[in-house]
Amino acid sequence: MNALEASAFVKDLGYTLDGAWKVLLAGLILGAGLCAVYAVGIRGMALSAAGSGEAGQGGQGGRQGNAIGYVIAGVCLLIVLYGIVSGIMIVLGSGLGKDVTFDHVIPMFTEKS
Amino acid sequence: MSPETLALVIVVVTALGFDFTNGFHDTGNAMATSIATGALTPRVAVALSAVLNLVGAFLSVEVALTVTNAVIKVQSSDGTPLTEFTGSGADKLLMIILAGLVGGIVWNLLTWLLGLPSSSSHALFGGLIGAAVAGLGFSGVNWVGDGSALDGVVGKVILPAVLSPVVAGAVAALATWLVYRITVGVAERFVRDGFRWGQVGTASLVSLAHGTGDAQKTMGVITLALIASGHWTDTANIPLWVKVVCAVAIASGTWIGGWRIIRTLGKGLVEIDSPQGMAAEASSAVTILASSHLGFALSTTHVATGSILGTGLGRPGAEVRWSVAMRMVTAWVITLPAAAVVGAIMFGVGRLFGDVGGPIVVLAILIALAGFIYARSRHEPVDANNVNDEWDGMPTPSGGTLAGTAGGVA
Repeated sequence: MNALEASAFVKDLGYTLDGAWKVLLAGLILGAGLCAVYAVGIRGMALSAAGSGEAGQGGQGGRQGNAIGYVIAGVCLLIVLYGIVSGIMIVLGSGLGKDVTFDHVIPMFTEKS
Repeated sequence: MSPETLALVIVVVTALGFDFTNGFHDTGNAMATSIATGALTPRVAVALSAVLNLVGAFLSVEVALTVTNAVIKVQSSDGTPLTEFTGSGADKLLMIILAGLVGGIVWNLLTWLLGLPSSSSHALFGGLIGAAVAGLGFSGVNWVGDGSALDGVVGKVILPAVLSPVVAGAVAALATWLVYRITVGVAERFVRDGFRWGQVGTASLVSLAHGTGDAQKTMGVITLALIASGHWTDTANIPLWVKVVCAVAIASGTWIGGWRIIRTLGKGLVEIDSPQGMAAEASSAVTILASSHLGFALSTTHVATGSILGTGLGRPGAEVRWSVAMRMVTAWVITLPAAAVVGAIMFGVGRLFGDVGGPIVVLAILIALAGFIYARSRHEPVDANNVNDEWDGMPTPSGGTLAGTAGGVA
């Protein structure tokens, strides 16, 4: 390997570590994060089933459990749906050759810079 | 039909064959976890994945024509063949492409026979590298790029291969751990059913991303062959028929199922429950999408496998079969050189028989090898009916299972 190749190799290493770090962060926040939100939503669904969703509990606090549970589940579902739609937009974007921006919170296509 | 056209037809048919093997090799990446937990029945899972791969492939409007530039030096930066490969030099380029494809196909088939998930992208690149070395010498390969951006075999193949499973595994481990912590005490039926829906959603996203990303490789290779042989001149677009046949090829391959690999991913590595399944596919989806959004190349197989291993680590008390994992990693490491060897040999053999005879002989050898491998697979077939049976070890080429890869605890 000559000097030029050696320096390109080192640069490649740098680019990769830099990129891997970004992907890891995105994965931890969005991947693990959305899964956690989904799990909270499932807990909400269980809560909404008049208290009988929680293993080992009786039927106390049925009505209250119902309402809060549905709200929690609903909010979580919306968050997860936002994540899924964003994901689909990114897939579409890569196919269509467009970038996806989140400047206005809602994902939108823009031309590639 | 002129000799050049016959060579071209053989290249196109072989490329579609590669696309087909790419399809069934990667079905498991998206669907193995859903099949293993029962979120989807085997046949529905592969049908869904096939449809999404088809849709994804058609979504590839902007196809990277410069697909081979990542690893070998046969194209210029706008996608056209380098001048030494135009005119009378086109046959050499066609043979490099053909030999590369055969290298990729043979490795895909061999790893399929052994039930080993391995990267189809690496198999193709390996084949191309081998053929290029045989035809152009080591300087015909783009090893490290020029340092201005991530490029070359090291930058676009090897480094991503090492890091992407680790990243995906870490994400999946955290996701799994969180999910189990958050749903402690919730009744089994809510957990099981709720996460099954989550599994279907995340697995679908992975299939869509796969169709969009992977069919492009074959589209790019076929278009390059068309340009080299003078049948196409537009470097900004690919012919519609190319897109259609590539989409159909990868979707058909996906639908056939690749059951042996699905079984290894779904049952052989980790015994999976639906929360783990969803965490794994969510991790795969985010890793693949974040990487493609940032412009990085990676293999869906490496990511999916890393995710599944990660869910094994993230769930307290889960069992990971390291013997199977090690066997897989070994396959990954030798994919590039093994496919390269086949590509190099095929190039050498092909050039012995001239511009017409060469492609015909290479195709004949490919068909013979494929037939042999398929026949071996029938000794102990894996299909939709037994893909979820209790794990009893990795398949071997002669039928039966490999000692030391059944059972075992983390």
